[in-house]
Amino acid sequence: MKALLTFLPLFRQRSGALALALLLSLITLASGVALLGTSGWFITATALTTLGLGFNIFVPSAMVRGLSFVRILARYGERLVGHNATLKLLSDLRGWLFARLFPRLPLPDRSLRHGDLVSRLTADVDALDTAFLVAIGPLAAAILVGGAMTTILGVFLPAAALPYGLALALAGLGVPVAMVLIGRRAGRDSVAAQADLRMHVLDGVTGHADLVLLGALGRTAHDFAQANDHSAALRRRLGLVTTMGGLAVQVLAALALAGTLWAGLVALDAGSIDGPVMAALLLGVLGSFEVTSLIVRSTAKATQAMAAAERLVALDDMPPPVIEPVHPAPLPAGGAIALDTIRFAYPGLPAILDGLSLRVAPGERVAITGASGNGKSTLLRLLLRLADPQSGQVSIGGIDLTTLASHDIHAHMALLSQDSPVFIDTICNNLLIGRADAGEAELWDALGRAQLDDHVRALPKGLDTIVGEAGRTLSAGQARRLCLARALLSNAPVLLLDEPTNALDRDTEEAFFRVIASGTAGRTVILVTHAALPPGTVDRMLVLENGVLG
Amino acid sequence: MTTQPNSSAQALTRLHRKGGPSLVLAMAAPFLGGALLVWQAWTLSDVLGRAIEGGEAAGALLPAVGLILALLVIRAALGALGEQSGIVAAEAIKRHLRQALFTQLLARSPRAADAPPSGAAASAIVDQVEALDGYFARYLPAALQAALLPLIFGAIILPLDWVAGVLFLVTAPLIPLFMALVGWGAQVATDRQARALTHLSGRFADRLRGLLTLKLFGREAAETAGIVEASEALRLRTLKVLRIAFLSSAVLEFFAALGVAGIALYVGLTFIDYLHLRASPLTLQLGLFLLLMAPEIYNPLRLLAAHYHDRATAKAGLEEIERQLGALPAEPVAHADIAPRPGPAVSVNLAGLTLRTPDQQRAVLLDAALAIPAGQHVALVGPSGSGKSTLLEALAGLRTAEGQITLDGRPLADWPEDELRARSFLLAQKPRLIHASIAANIGLARPGATRRDIEKAAERARVAGFAAALPDGLDTVIGEDGIGLSGGQAQRVALARLFLRDAGLILLDEPTAHLDAALEDEIISVIRDYARGRTLIVATHSLAVAGRLDKAWRIAGTSLVQTPIPSGKRGVA
Repeated sequence: MKALLTFLPLFRQRSGALALALLLSLITLASGVALLGTSGWFITATALTTLGLGFNIFVPSAMVRGLSFVRILARYGERLVGHNATLKLLSDLRGWLFARLFPRLPLPDRSLRHGDLVSRLTADVDALDTAFLVAIGPLAAAILVGGAMTTILGVFLPAAALPYGLALALAGLGVPVAMVLIGRRAGRDSVAAQADLRMHVLDGVTGHADLVLLGALGRTAHDFAQANDHSAALRRRLGLVTTMGGLAVQVLAALALAGTLWAGLVALDAGSIDGPVMAALLLGVLGSFEVTSLIVRSTAKATQAMAAAERLVALDDMPPPVIEPVHPAPLPAGGAIALDTIRFAYPGLPAILDGLSLRVAPGERVAITGASGNGKSTLLRLLLRLADPQSGQVSIGGIDLTTLASHDIHAHMALLSQDSPVFIDTICNNLLIGRADAGEAELWDALGRAQLDDHVRALPKGLDTIVGEAGRTLSAGQARRLCLARALLSNAPVLLLDEPTNALDRDTEEAFFRVIASGTAGRTVILVTHAALPPGTVDRMLVLENGVLG
Repeated sequence: MTTQPNSSAQALTRLHRKGGPSLVLAMAAPFLGGALLVWQAWTLSDVLGRAIEGGEAAGALLPAVGLILALLVIRAALGALGEQSGIVAAEAIKRHLRQALFTQLLARSPRAADAPPSGAAASAIVDQVEALDGYFARYLPAALQAALLPLIFGAIILPLDWVAGVLFLVTAPLIPLFMALVGWGAQVATDRQARALTHLSGRFADRLRGLLTLKLFGREAAETAGIVEASEALRLRTLKVLRIAFLSSAVLEFFAALGVAGIALYVGLTFIDYLHLRASPLTLQLGLFLLLMAPEIYNPLRLLAAHYHDRATAKAGLEEIERQLGALPAEPVAHADIAPRPGPAVSVNLAGLTLRTPDQQRAVLLDAALAIPAGQHVALVGPSGSGKSTLLEALAGLRTAEGQITLDGRPLADWPEDELRARSFLLAQKPRLIHASIAANIGLARPGATRRDIEKAAERARVAGFAAALPDGLDTVIGEDGIGLSGGQAQRVALARLFLRDAGLILLDEPTAHLDAALEDEIISVIRDYARGRTLIVATHSLAVAGRLDKAWRIAGTSLVQTPIPSGKRGVA
């Protein structure tokens, strides 16, 4: 529940529409109760009327018809308004989540898997939609309608007021609370099991080729079956909680009806109530329990909503990897990049960089080589301030990186990393991520510099060709070059290249290094590679060894 | 992929069978409940009639009140039984379908051009299958009730009061007709909504994969706006579906209200002698019974209306599944692990081989030929994108090719899948690591591999060294795609699998990518040692690697030519 409250500000934004939906649902319920009551009174009264001519038939019959139509219209409006507001809320939530996610990148939690993230952004957000329609709306309606009915009973049939009020309170409050307490665990487990199932599919599809080649499909199918069974069992358990909740409400309604009936019969015996009024009250009681059945249905979903909310809040609670300065300093133009006696260690691991210093002047091209896994990529991460060193200082133009806005730092340096992705989108849109306002000529220029222009020109749809997941319609080398073109397209004066020629053959690699020498004139280049560089590619070659540059 | 409009309806019918006895119980329970309802309404109106019209004492009516309470409770229990049976049946059906879909997906070629993106596949198997839930758990039982219960109720009422009976029997069947008219456009709108949902889900999966890249290019605002935009598009589509669904249920409520109001009016007017349609006088008991039954006649239809869009949702869900994953499989495909099988080295012969790029747009090899005797170690070189990976994958049977591929003197087509897997190993260019420990990732290569086997393989692939520095050593859990490892480390974990496979034909695609020269040298020595007595083909850019092998072949244009072995130093290949 506490997690749900985190989203209160988002709910408040849509409070107008939600209040309207609540009002309409109250009108629907009240007119339903009044409709049944009036009909019961009308029939009983007419049956007791011996003089047909003396009975005014038009008012009650008009009331019956009027209430019917009010109920129909109010219900239609309630559903439309409520669902529209809820769906808008979902869009708000997705946007909120994305906006919260970006500052927390790169995510520290190794166990937070891709499929899990997708799950959080789709299914969990969807599960939240019922939070209002289910938890708040029907509860408020139950309290108001139940309260009104109890008051009416108190006036006309006092003996029935207490048992009815008690039964309705139990059905409207006791049963949902019990359902939440019992179903919360199953709800949380069920959400997690669905995410796990999704993870198995994602693992199976992305790793399909390897699983086939390793003859491991048997285990894959078996593991999926287990996750599938687990998920189904949890859903059955959740369903049972709902079913039992519904049963409890029905039994309470039965008790309230039988109690009202008995109290009515006794009062009728004593002459303290009219026959028609008693019939009206009995049918009204019958109608008022419609509201509690709504609550049961929504409570079942509320347990899942709570679990989803907890998972979303957990994501939001993750600390960002670096703290943004409150008043960022302006980015100095054309300053040197410097690392000064840097020490950096990943949590629980020995220091990977220890006492490292480096100074790169504007326009300078520096290559850093060294054994794999010894911190070359880490060095680039520190330059981009995706992490802060434990000691030492990273600066641009003498300004400490910690006093600059990350946004400015990233606009200043473009990265082509080992695993830069190709998005499922057109080639054109993939490039525009580098610079949204680039013109077509600039796109071709970037493609040309990455030596991909001939290939793209040969494609039937050219720049509008859609490239698939992990660049399936491109070879690994071509996908790499598309990412390179994207980095070249950006206006960043500094290019950080992390193994840019991985999976390129030697000829293309050489040509590419020549492109760096010529095509990046005026830009600073820091190149991490273990490829042999043709002479003249860079101004300086450094070797990273034992945590320092030599 | 085109689907016939009726295929999804047929598929739903086929799936009924998987519901078993639970589904039968879910459909049957409401009828028993309906019978008890008539009894209950009759008793209740009897009690009221006797008390109000007959003036009977409360004490004499106590047994009847007790009966009403008992009937109410039994009906509640029957309702719960039916509901839970529906849930059990729906879960069984969804479980079956998910298993069938996933195993069918695994049974396809992993390099099929129409393979769905992983996000779309997950959305189809998890979300779209979930869309069937309401159809089986709620719509089916409701549909049967709506078809029969009003008629049964009408038939019971007809001999008691022919006017009310006729009114019920005539209005009840009219309602579905009007609903169908209103719901005409619902299916189209639901289809569009399902597609928008898949699109949104796929977009999430894809963008999340590259979130850091988007952040570094300063795309936070644009991407967040894009997600909200896709989400809003989904909202508008969903709202269209809902508006139709709500309208059709409003139409139903309208007719139901007309029916109830008509009965109330008819009974009232008969009581005050304005109407004389009955032969015998109407008692209060019968009047109240008719009034109590009036909403119940329409209730099954209202229930159906409430769950009407469950059917449209299920059909749209099935169509979306078929669009993403192809025709629905009837049963799950059985998969078994394939253990390595020791044996002699496998010779490779290619004749008249033509290979195309995955999209079939370009031929990478035309009429190419190649002969590698058993036990030879061969380098495969050529420019990036020239088709080295495609050729290796064709040799491993992952891609179709025209012409002859002969392994061990036998055409590749004659190799049963399990024998081919048991005798060959391919390290793909972008090997995938699963979310599990390093040891489990290596152990994937052989069912029942012992800890000792895994440690030995880790040692050989130079994994043991860096793993020792990790918190849990080989048991350290790594993320999918080897998150937590550097590119070179992930590559070596994937390579370690080789040493568990005992293959007669070893195909390696860039096994030393991401590695520095010293490590590359070490690794290639280990591979060569291990591959003694086995056939080894290595696609590589590295001259240092090519120089250490027996022979080298080059993809030049669209043919394969033997090329001199480069001298063993780093340089141009």
